[in-house]
Amino acid sequence: MKTLIIAVVMFAVAFFGYRAFLFSVDETEKAVVLEFGKIVRVIETPGLYAKKPLIQNVTYLEDRLLSVDIKPAPVITVDKQRLTVDSYTLWRIKDARQFTETMRGLRNNAEQRLDDIIYSLLRDVLGQKTFEDILKREFLSEVRNNAQKQVADFGISIIDVRIKRADLPEANEQAVYQRMMSERKQIAERYRAEGDQEAQGIKAEADRKVQITLATARKQSEELKGEGDAQALEIYAKAYNRDPKFFQFWRTLESYKVSLATNSTLILSTDSDYLKLLDTMLPKSAK
Amino acid sequence: MAERIELPGNWRYLKWRFGNAASALGWLIIIGGLGLWLASGVYTVGPSQIGLVKRFGKFTKSTGPGFQYRLPTPIESVVIVDQRSVRTEEIGFRSRAGVASVHYPPREEEALMLTGDFNIIRLETVVQYDVTDAETFAFQVEDHHRVIREAAQAVIRERVALHKVDEALTEKREEIASQIRQELQELLKQYGTGLRIINVRLQEVTPPTKQVAAAFDDVNSAVQDKERLVFEAKRYTNEQLPRAEGMAQKITNEAEAYKQGRILTAQGEVARFTAVLDRYKLGEDVTQTRLYIETMEAILPNLNKVIVSKEAGGTLKLLNLDEFVRMKGGVTGK
Repeated sequence: MKTLIIAVVMFAVAFFGYRAFLFSVDETEKAVVLEFGKIVRVIETPGLYAKKPLIQNVTYLEDRLLSVDIKPAPVITVDKQRLTVDSYTLWRIKDARQFTETMRGLRNNAEQRLDDIIYSLLRDVLGQKTFEDILKREFLSEVRNNAQKQVADFGISIIDVRIKRADLPEANEQAVYQRMMSERKQIAERYRAEGDQEAQGIKAEADRKVQITLATARKQSEELKGEGDAQALEIYAKAYNRDPKFFQFWRTLESYKVSLATNSTLILSTDSDYLKLLDTMLPKSAK
Repeated sequence: MAERIELPGNWRYLKWRFGNAASALGWLIIIGGLGLWLASGVYTVGPSQIGLVKRFGKFTKSTGPGFQYRLPTPIESVVIVDQRSVRTEEIGFRSRAGVASVHYPPREEEALMLTGDFNIIRLETVVQYDVTDAETFAFQVEDHHRVIREAAQAVIRERVALHKVDEALTEKREEIASQIRQELQELLKQYGTGLRIINVRLQEVTPPTKQVAAAFDDVNSAVQDKERLVFEAKRYTNEQLPRAEGMAQKITNEAEAYKQGRILTAQGEVARFTAVLDRYKLGEDVTQTRLYIETMEAILPNLNKVIVSKEAGGTLKLLNLDEFVRMKGGVTGK
């Protein structure tokens, strides 16, 4: 029993002794040792440290990269465009002593201050820029540098200021959608018109080729026919010139065979050479 | 307790036994407590992890996978960092288990952004990254999710704002993704986060609303319409030209046939004429008469004939000749 009591007492002594005389600083922290509210020591390196019990107490500060969301800033650009600019700032506690003195070591105070400073800097700077400038984000290092100057005395180091979003107000967004749609409509119409035009061109070219091909063929055809007629005439002429009188007689007879075909009515007199024999031989009563 | 029941009367013995037992129990508790305290220093490091051991808050050593030991709590502590696993951040949407990727709920405020030509597009991005420097990662950054998400949003918007809407939607997509990757990597390096960007993927790049998307789709169908019109015109050409060639061929063939026909007919007729002429030369009058009579024989049987004898007064006396002729459509002759 005694040993147990002794052990518990020893444990308690060790525990409270450790708490009273020693403290550790983590890799993620810095520490400030205060004596009756006065900074007596700033610890930047992690490890185990000693302090005076009761009269000294320790405040810890973040020694990591911290992010703060700056409240969205409504902005009107030089070219009268309304925008809502949402940004963030990365910062660290650089000088623990200054930070403790000015911000009372409280991160909330620092974030509030950063929010105010950067919000108004952004509004001032963006109000002098055109919408295109804002899209290009080149002014941000200027904002960062100005903000850094303003917070230099607070022991704060600003790593970066960036715009997460630069959005249009709802009404303007709708206007952009309308414009996008009418732009697309124009493009679509242009493609269709181009298609029509190209197709017409191709068809016209085809028609032209067809016309030329046919006309060429017709020309050739007429030439061929002419040649045929001419050669035939030549052949006829050559032969018929041997006896034009007989040709006339023979050709006339040939022509009768064709032109006096069926359904023609011929009134013949017995005076004609062909029928004169008929008259002399017929008895008078037969008529 | 058990001893008291066994030996209720012997107080000395009891005191001795109890004192001994209490003392033993005390030691047991002390040793047990100490043992437990010391044993609480055992920890495991997973296969892709690394253990960072701090002594009184100061980093002393890193340990690899397996069972590891550190001194117990106020003295040493350990931070375990997953070093090799690929981590992802989703910008513009949130994936959900059991939901198809197309139905992931979008985050409008993250997804919608302005392009360089003042259009708005919807972009859903996945950023893949891992830890390269566990110490920096564990000790230098408060909230790495937040840092990487904010930086990614800023970089995505900056990059997209430098491109036109058509570039972002189509041909420059990969290029934009790789620019975002590079720039985000640069930024994280500058911030000192111990993180490495493995990949930035633009999952969905779409017009902002359904209506606008329909307008964009209509452009695509217009492109197809154009192609179709041109294709049809080409098909028309391919139909018309061979047909014209065929017709041309037909025309010239017919002409050729006519030509040959004319020549051959002439030659034939001439041959016949020549033959008849040769005969005619043998006896001109006889042949002439014979040809005449033969012709008459050939044509007269097929004709309607009216023969008027000399006694009847010749053809002039025929009644109603005009009417008769009109009716029959005939020919008067001698």
